[in-house]
Amino acid sequence: MSGELVEFGAVSEPVEDIADVVIIGSGAAGATAGRVLTEAGIDVIIVEEGPHVPTEKLTSDMYTSFKWLWRDMGLQVGQGRAFTPILQGRCVGGTTVINGAIMHRMPKRIFDHWCEERGEGGVLRYEELERIWDQLDLELSVGTAPEDTLGRNNTLMRRGVEGLGLRGNSIRRNVKDCQGSAHCNQGCPTGRKQSMNNTYVPLAIERGARVYATCKAERFIVEGGRARGVVGRFLHPLTHEPGPTLTARARHAVVVAASAIQTPVLLHDNHIGRTSGLVGERLQCHPGAGVVGVFDDPVDMWFGANQGYESTHFWDERMKFESVAMPLEFGAARLPEVGPELMHRLGEYGHLAIWGVQVRARAHGSVRRNLFGRRSIRYDMNDGDIQLLKLGIKRLTEMMFESGAREVLPGVHGLPERISTVDEIEPIFGLTDDPRRFHCIASHMFGTAVMGLGRNNSVVDPRLEAHDLPDLYVTDSSVFPTNMGVNPQHSVCAVSWLAAEGIADRLAGR
Amino acid sequence: MKLLAFERRWLRAIFEAILPSNADDQLSLGVADVPIDRFVDDVLEHAPGQFKAGLRASLWVVALSPLFVIGRFKTFDRLDARARSEVLRCLAQSDIYLVREQPLLFKMVACLGYGGMPAVQRQIGIHPTDSSPPDWAREPERE
Ligand SMILES: Cc1cc2nc3c(=O)[nH]c(=O)nc-3n(C[C@H](O)[C@H](O)[C@H](O)COP(=O)(O)OP(=O)(O)OC[C@H]3O[C@@H](n4cnc5c(N)ncnc54)[C@H](O)[C@@H]3O)c2cc1C
Ligand code: SF4
Repeated sequence: MSGELVEFGAVSEPVEDIADVVIIGSGAAGATAGRVLTEAGIDVIIVEEGPHVPTEKLTSDMYTSFKWLWRDMGLQVGQGRAFTPILQGRCVGGTTVINGAIMHRMPKRIFDHWCEERGEGGVLRYEELERIWDQLDLELSVGTAPEDTLGRNNTLMRRGVEGLGLRGNSIRRNVKDCQGSAHCNQGCPTGRKQSMNNTYVPLAIERGARVYATCKAERFIVEGGRARGVVGRFLHPLTHEPGPTLTARARHAVVVAASAIQTPVLLHDNHIGRTSGLVGERLQCHPGAGVVGVFDDPVDMWFGANQGYESTHFWDERMKFESVAMPLEFGAARLPEVGPELMHRLGEYGHLAIWGVQVRARAHGSVRRNLFGRRSIRYDMNDGDIQLLKLGIKRLTEMMFESGAREVLPGVHGLPERISTVDEIEPIFGLTDDPRRFHCIASHMFGTAVMGLGRNNSVVDPRLEAHDLPDLYVTDSSVFPTNMGVNPQHSVCAVSWLAAEGIADRLAGR
Repeated sequence: MKLLAFERRWLRAIFEAILPSNADDQLSLGVADVPIDRFVDDVLEHAPGQFKAGLRASLWVVALSPLFVIGRFKTFDRLDARARSEVLRCLAQSDIYLVREQPLLFKMVACLGYGGMPAVQRQIGIHPTDSSPPDWAREPERE
């Protein structure tokens, strides 16, 4: 029996539905849970705040994609001493629709650290995660881009990394026959990216799931002290004009997979996890900054895998390097010039390469409701994180020159706008450790509803069930005790998969 | 949110100072050559309220900044092209974070509209996947 996808506009009256499990969010965590549960024959409803945008409707212009696919049109920020854009998707498929498709397994050392510190061992098993990663790799076509679609932004980075004697590799991505159109952040126009909108969401629908898109989950239904569903409201995808309500009842469980930023808001509004005082706290990120290199030969960033090459050589030092092909609309704003100088620079956009460093920052931020009831994200890197970022920018600069850059635009306030030798980056270490000097973004978020053994120091148990509300599970990266230093979606999928298997086993035993 | 006529004038002047026309041999199109007013309308219709309020506040700061930045008692739109560039450059290099974020904000918005136009991309050498302009750039249909 096939399910269906229902959206604002198609409903004029309140909708009521019932399934075994209701899932909130259709991104990496939610869609994966949907895949696993429906495979076990469990009836599922998925509630997704954002719209469904079919591949043929995806556009190459960044602004239109911001409007339809990105949360707050890409304008969500973390506030601290500096403003840090906190980037997320808001559509069927979640952030996987707009992400770089990088698939990285959680390093074993991070997992061991979680077990030592928080006692997750025994229930979450690394071998189990490895089994799931293998399966995900098969199902989501994880592999490296072929050489002819890698593109020069990636091959130049390889030259820089190898030239310095560092370890690097082509990135493993969940893409089938990548065309190298470098449009991953606008949503893959050819449907090659195996994001959740192209894979597990349609699969779950095929197996009977009902997906209520443009519907924001607001309130949990609690009966007999157990989670028994969710009440949401359909919203116009652009104007947010309210439509009818949805009452999605769950016979057995509710899975919250709304992301590390939205999940704590939902938990907070429903008074879950109060004992721990940790809902929305301990927000960790991988703040990242990009460095621009100017080359004599064409780079043509618009051709190739968006993010096709990486170096984890300095992972132990809490930093990772990646190529990041930026669409013109993004990249132009990152350039230091204005006026005629900017136009000259844009005239040679085809000669620019952009690579980034992401830092496994130690800083903790928070997601709370402010006095006006709005979601408020606080985030600032600490001094140690900034020192790492400086070192990362220096290393990127070295890679750029090693691969033949004529000039580098470091993008740091207090340094020259452009430098033409490696030595000119050294003054970065004389600058104060002030986050306002850098243009960082964060797109990997963790820790706002942390898992653990006790209700005093965690929000969910190691099976990811809320300590405060039986049958309510949280399966996104909110539950990760720390950041990981690698891109999270592979781990998010695997952890959610494991939790969903646990739910399926429980239901089978009932 | 709607901008008043003089605010629109200010905004256009800032955008045109950031992305002027005929400034580069290869890239002759500037922001004035794309339907940037329609883009601004679309942003003002759809962006989150906080962003729109911030944009308006920044607009006033930049428009009135020539007095403080280059000692000229004129609004930004009344300056010549060189002076406009100078004001933006000074603001962008300010030691005060909130001040140097102002030109960046306008650059971000201007580039988002401008860079999405296939005609601009073609001049730069990009072969756009969609050769038709984005929805916001199309002439509104007449009744
Ligand atoms: C630009 C960018 C590039 C990235 N690149 C990579 C990469 O290459 N590799 C990688 O591993 N990671 C990458 N990431 C991060 C990765 O995509 C995310 O970590 C991952 O998708 C998180 O999964 P999630 O399920 O927790 O959240 P999401 O995938 O964000 O899904 C959450 C979903 O829940 C929905 N939702 C939220 N609140 C509600 C509500 N109240 N009711 C109903 N629905 C709700 C949201 O709309 C969203 O669709 C990138 C992120 C960004 C922004
Ligand atoms: S590079 Fe292009 S074809 Fe390849 S996954 Fe990204 S958007 Fe799709």
